Amino acid sequence: MLRRGELNKTSGARHKQSELTGVKGPLDTSSSTQEKPLLELHGLSTGYGETQVLWDISLHVMHGEVVALVGANGAGKSTLLNTISGLLQSWEGTIVFAGRDITRYRAERIAKLGLVQVPQGRRLFGGLTIEENLRLGAYTNRAGSARAIAADLERVYMLLPKLCERRKQLTHSLSGGEQQMCAIARGLMARPNLLLIDELSLGLAPNIVDDLLTAIDNIHRQEKMSFLLVEQDVQIALERAHRAYVLEGGHIVLSGPATDLLKSEKIRIAYLGA
Amino acid sequence: MAFGQILVNWLLLGSLYGAVALGVSLVWGIMNIVNLAHGAFVILGAYAAFWMYTQLHIDPYISIPLTMAFLFIIGWIVQYTLINRVIRAPFLVTFLLTFGLDLLIIDLVQQIFTSDLRSVNTIYAGSGLDIGSTHIAFDRLIAAAIAIVLTAALNYFLTHTREGNAILATGMDRDAARLMGINIRNTYALTFAIGAALAGAAGAMLAELYPFNPSNGDAFKLRAFAIVILGGLGSPWGALAGGLVFGLVETVVPLIPGVGPGYDDAIAFAVLVAVLIFRPDGLLGKPFYR
Ligand SMILES: Nc1ncnc2c1ncn2[C@@H]1O[C@H](COP(=O)(O)OP(=O)(O)O)[C@@H](O)[C@H]1O
Ligand SMILES: [Mg+2]
Repeated sequence: MLRRGELNKTSGARHKQSELTGVKGPLDTSSSTQEKPLLELHGLSTGYGETQVLWDISLHVMHGEVVALVGANGAGKSTLLNTISGLLQSWEGTIVFAGRDITRYRAERIAKLGLVQVPQGRRLFGGLTIEENLRLGAYTNRAGSARAIAADLERVYMLLPKLCERRKQLTHSLSGGEQQMCAIARGLMARPNLLLIDELSLGLAPNIVDDLLTAIDNIHRQEKMSFLLVEQDVQIALERAHRAYVLEGGHIVLSGPATDLLKSEKIRIAYLGA
Repeated sequence: MAFGQILVNWLLLGSLYGAVALGVSLVWGIMNIVNLAHGAFVILGAYAAFWMYTQLHIDPYISIPLTMAFLFIIGWIVQYTLINRVIRAPFLVTFLLTFGLDLLIIDLVQQIFTSDLRSVNTIYAGSGLDIGSTHIAFDRLIAAAIAIVLTAALNYFLTHTREGNAILATGMDRDAARLMGINIRNTYALTFAIGAALAGAAGAMLAELYPFNPSNGDAFKLRAFAIVILGGLGSPWGALAGGLVFGLVETVVPLIPGVGPGYDDAIAFAVLVAVLIFRPDGLLGKPFYR
């Protein structure tokens, strides 16, 4: 679990909606509160064809922070991630990553900057082996050399030993949990600064979800890496994140420290069935 | 005809067909682009080899690297300037575009070289190995060897190199490939260029083996597409296997008393249908390449 004690100590008002813009997370894990966010979205809107799906989205992720984006099916979570990743163009607004305006960047260029997505439904290359998938994860060569990539591969295998056992197996023949494991590992091989994970828990048994999240906790603790976790399973997401945003019908309707949201009346009724 | 001779003829023709189909297997089978200009690329390769033979006196087999480089560049330009613009458009748009390109290239070749039948007569044409009563012509033997080398090289490139894997990945899931940082425009251009280069190599072999004119591309194009389906889309060795099956039918059928040479195409396509009934993905195809 991620610094729950720290979370409880520092989080201020309960049941209160924090403002979106300008608010540095009170749980900022980075050394300086003056520090600029790693990712910052401002007034983003987009859609498909004529249909608008997202309205005026503003959010940020600090260095080393774990942020959750939760919302019901169809709320626009994947659309938002794909816009951040450059697969979808935004209609309005700006996306700034590591101090750079990436709003008009193409997807491949964004990946090279270390803003990496593990897409919904895993989207592995089914006709390739686990190891080939992982090596494609390192396609941008952010590690810098073949040797560094080989070392990354070993580290990922240490973290997720099951992948090592099956490194020569085609990924289309893996179970759902193994596929998700491989998809996350493929994302890690890109050496991300920020990893966007879309629906990690979808369709997986609870114990498998726990294993995967534990692995992510370990990575988060070891590396200086940030995460934006997109989840329909609000409980899972809020338990793991420092802060969270709630997306409803393409609008961000609520945001704040995860522990606060977890206790909020509105969230409990709408998403946690209590 | 002696059995040994039939066997040799079959293997040599089949591997040549495999070479013609190899580029189609890559471009269609892996990248999902139906390139109707493939036959025109083969013809371009044949004329490039012919030109180098008559003007520079380089043997078509020796000049294959140059022919391939020439078609690689043409393929890259075509993909980057034309086909990349319609890559998200419906299938039929690519179809029409490459169909138009086919007509254009064939017309240009006709303008430059006329529609006369051309042939390359090397000093070793006609000579070969004689084992018992079986004659193995050198020019055909070399063509078969080149076909096998190209197939193995393509297979190695796709499965063992970073760019080859990027091509496979792009064919399997374009958006996921982009998330890996793969520049799909470049990847498409590279794939198309390699496909064109392979067509060029096949063209050089044709120039060496048969008399040809600009309209010869069509017959090869039709066969190439059938061979690729038969062998399995996207599988380099499948292209060779499909080529061997077609070669077998076309070698053996004309020898059957009462059938004659006119039926070989019909029977070849009947074999294609029969294979697909039992193996819908072709002889060596894998379902996820579709
Ligand atoms: N490719 C697409 N084309 C058109 N509409 C889409 C497409 N993808 C998603 N949508 C629509 O956008 C809305 C948000 O979808 P999505 O972002 O997938 O939601 P979520 O990930 O929160 O479940 C939905 O109404 C969905 O129907
Ligand atoms: Mg989604």
